[in-house]
Amino acid sequence: MKKLVTALLCSAALGMPAVQAQEIKSATKFGDMSTVSQDMLNRAATDSQNFLQTNGDYAQQRFYPNRQINTTNVSKLRPAWIFQTEVKESLETSPIVVNGTMFVTTSFSQVYALNARTGEELWHYVPKMGPITTFCCGPNNRGVAVSDNMVYLGTLDSQLVALDARSGKVMWKTEIADPEEGYSETMAPTVVDNKVLIGTNGGEYGIRGFMKAFDAKTGKLIWTFNTVPENSVGVWAEKDATGKDLHRDIAAEKATLAAMMQPAPGDQKQKSGAVDPAAKVVPVADKTGPAPSTSAAPQPKAAQFYKTLGGGIWQNPAVDLESRRIYFVVGNPSPDLDGSQRPGDNLYTDSLVSLDLDTGKYVCHLQYIPHDVWDFDAVSPPVITKVADKDGKPIKGVLHAGKTGYVYVHDAKDCSLVRYSEPMVPQENMWTLPTKEGVRMLPGANGGVEWSPLATDPNRGLAYAINLHQPMTYQVQNSAYPDGKLWLGGAFKVIPSEEQWGNITAVDYNTGKIRWQVKTPQPMIGGILATAGGLVFAGEGNGLFKAYDSESGSPLWSFQAGAGVNAPPSSYSVEGKQYIVVGAGGNTQLDYKRGNSIIAFTVD
Amino acid sequence: MTVRRLGTCLSAALLVSAVLPVSVRADTIDEKAAVCSSCHGEKGVPTEKNIPIIWGQQEGYLYLQLRDFKKGARKNEIMNGIAESLEKDDMKELAAYFAAKSWPNLDQASASDADVAAAKTANSAVGCSACHLDHFQGTGTVPRLSGQSHEYLTKTLAEFRSGERANNPGMTSLAQATPEPDLKAMEAYLAGL
Repeated sequence: MKKLVTALLCSAALGMPAVQAQEIKSATKFGDMSTVSQDMLNRAATDSQNFLQTNGDYAQQRFYPNRQINTTNVSKLRPAWIFQTEVKESLETSPIVVNGTMFVTTSFSQVYALNARTGEELWHYVPKMGPITTFCCGPNNRGVAVSDNMVYLGTLDSQLVALDARSGKVMWKTEIADPEEGYSETMAPTVVDNKVLIGTNGGEYGIRGFMKAFDAKTGKLIWTFNTVPENSVGVWAEKDATGKDLHRDIAAEKATLAAMMQPAPGDQKQKSGAVDPAAKVVPVADKTGPAPSTSAAPQPKAAQFYKTLGGGIWQNPAVDLESRRIYFVVGNPSPDLDGSQRPGDNLYTDSLVSLDLDTGKYVCHLQYIPHDVWDFDAVSPPVITKVADKDGKPIKGVLHAGKTGYVYVHDAKDCSLVRYSEPMVPQENMWTLPTKEGVRMLPGANGGVEWSPLATDPNRGLAYAINLHQPMTYQVQNSAYPDGKLWLGGAFKVIPSEEQWGNITAVDYNTGKIRWQVKTPQPMIGGILATAGGLVFAGEGNGLFKAYDSESGSPLWSFQAGAGVNAPPSSYSVEGKQYIVVGAGGNTQLDYKRGNSIIAFTVD
Repeated sequence: MTVRRLGTCLSAALLVSAVLPVSVRADTIDEKAAVCSSCHGEKGVPTEKNIPIIWGQQEGYLYLQLRDFKKGARKNEIMNGIAESLEKDDMKELAAYFAAKSWPNLDQASASDADVAAAKTANSAVGCSACHLDHFQGTGTVPRLSGQSHEYLTKTLAEFRSGERANNPGMTSLAQATPEPDLKAMEAYLAGL
């Protein structure tokens, strides 16, 4: 492992006087560049030097304000450097850049600090993970969070690790949840006001999902919000959020629930008054559902299915410092395809959820697909931006791109749905119930939009989404949770004879209309970045990394990276020069060609 | 498989496991692991073809299987008997011990072009490599499949498909969703990697 190369050493190596180099490196608009201040994080949306957060800023707009690389010169974009990691496996990292230092992660939760101007390795952190690691869809890691002089990482064995940003040395480490029960981490944390926010993977493993806040200095747990309340029944919704019939057999579900509530012989041995220790924050009642139980009375074991109901969180929350609220989306119920073991709406799976940042208390939610049996979970991170309400009046809104192929537009105040877009991919036979033999439905279980973040251009009122078209059949099979192993309740199967493709879609979120679409030869997964230079950047599984005109979708530039470009791009500048950076390491979930490159591009 | 050799493996393992609990009987990890070698091989090459390679196998996977044998979630007369007396620390120690060994080469033939093509089609349909990873090396609790004994792969996929092996229902669903000829091709492909 290479040791820290300090800014002083760097400047000495470059032959520059140390004082002058420090002056250049501190030429930032905000804050003290030796550390990442809260003020810098708050103002990340207008910082044209750094890329401080996974999705650009707390609102998660993925709109980079630097216009040095733009529609007139992007054709001259060329690689400035290529760094090869030691891990040749699925690469989903969002590079973070602080004052000329870049932090990237690889599969198996490794972190590299790089010189963002040269690609030189500064340090490399390899976590010593326990033997139990589980995952769905690859041993991925989507990046780090930075704050003060620390770098924060969630690991595949469900640890939260704080590293010294200058050396990579472990400052503290804490277990987020027990990996043997199916918990794991692939998402990047979010740091705000001394809290490290992180959800959990495990929606395919029979876990009980959560969002947790840890003290950034010590790693001590501050609050936990369980994404599945003890009473997850909801309102027995017959339709999804857009009014489509879910074909639920509500009577059968109610009968199942009633049977589950009957004590079985073994239940008599439970201690009276036992309280679930995980239920540290209990959501309050809201208008869409009954108050979750706060009773201390023992529940029959069968009725405790909330403990394995899933509801993982795959991506970062958006943070609204004005209202002191966070917004995130919750993944699928477990087991994915078999609803017979989990009667009710399965709150708050497949939902947008808002919490109070300081207490973790529930504020509002909207469930997209009650009682999901297709793995149509909400995974792409939400975006806070100004939107037109139904009367055309500007309000604070929240966008989410769904596996359904819709971009949903919410009112941030109460999570209610303002509108949803035209479908970005074909929808057929929604919501046909899975069968033992398998039934075809579109989209496939990867979407629409998978975990890939949206980009937005607030000036154009456009949201940019990357989509998959992957025809699949859905098969259901009943089984008990196999303790820490994948628990899908059946199988999704790609139909090999049908064509697959992808697209990039620009949606006018003030009307829901599609502005432009570009079809790609393969399903798209990874992410997208918009810039003030009138560009969007996105990569493909075939190794092509491309720039498009963000107004029209016209392709303006491309580069063959040699492996799947399936990671969200970032941008930054060093010493006055703007760069675009992206990982090219392929993708496990879609089996795109693996590689190990971090590639930074610039124009001369 | 010869009856005589199977008898040797069975009797050795059962004899040792029946006398005393492994954790009590053995002091060192080498002693604890000795009982395993009577079937899984002194140098990692199993004594019978339908017995899996455990040398170099993923540590988390080995631990979960021992745990499941102990609980009875995975059925195997010999392994249930051996695992019954193991404590969690024993299982973790044994898993680490065998994971650290070198994976043996069984010199199995590479699959035919037709089998490779069919295996890749099956993989693209149900996504085997989404868990077992590129080159089917596995990680953590997901086992390595490349170079595993062909006969063991055949036996295991058949048992997943029938539900006889019940400690991973996800594999049952995937095996049932895959046509049998494609499974055969996949077995040959994995064994030959």
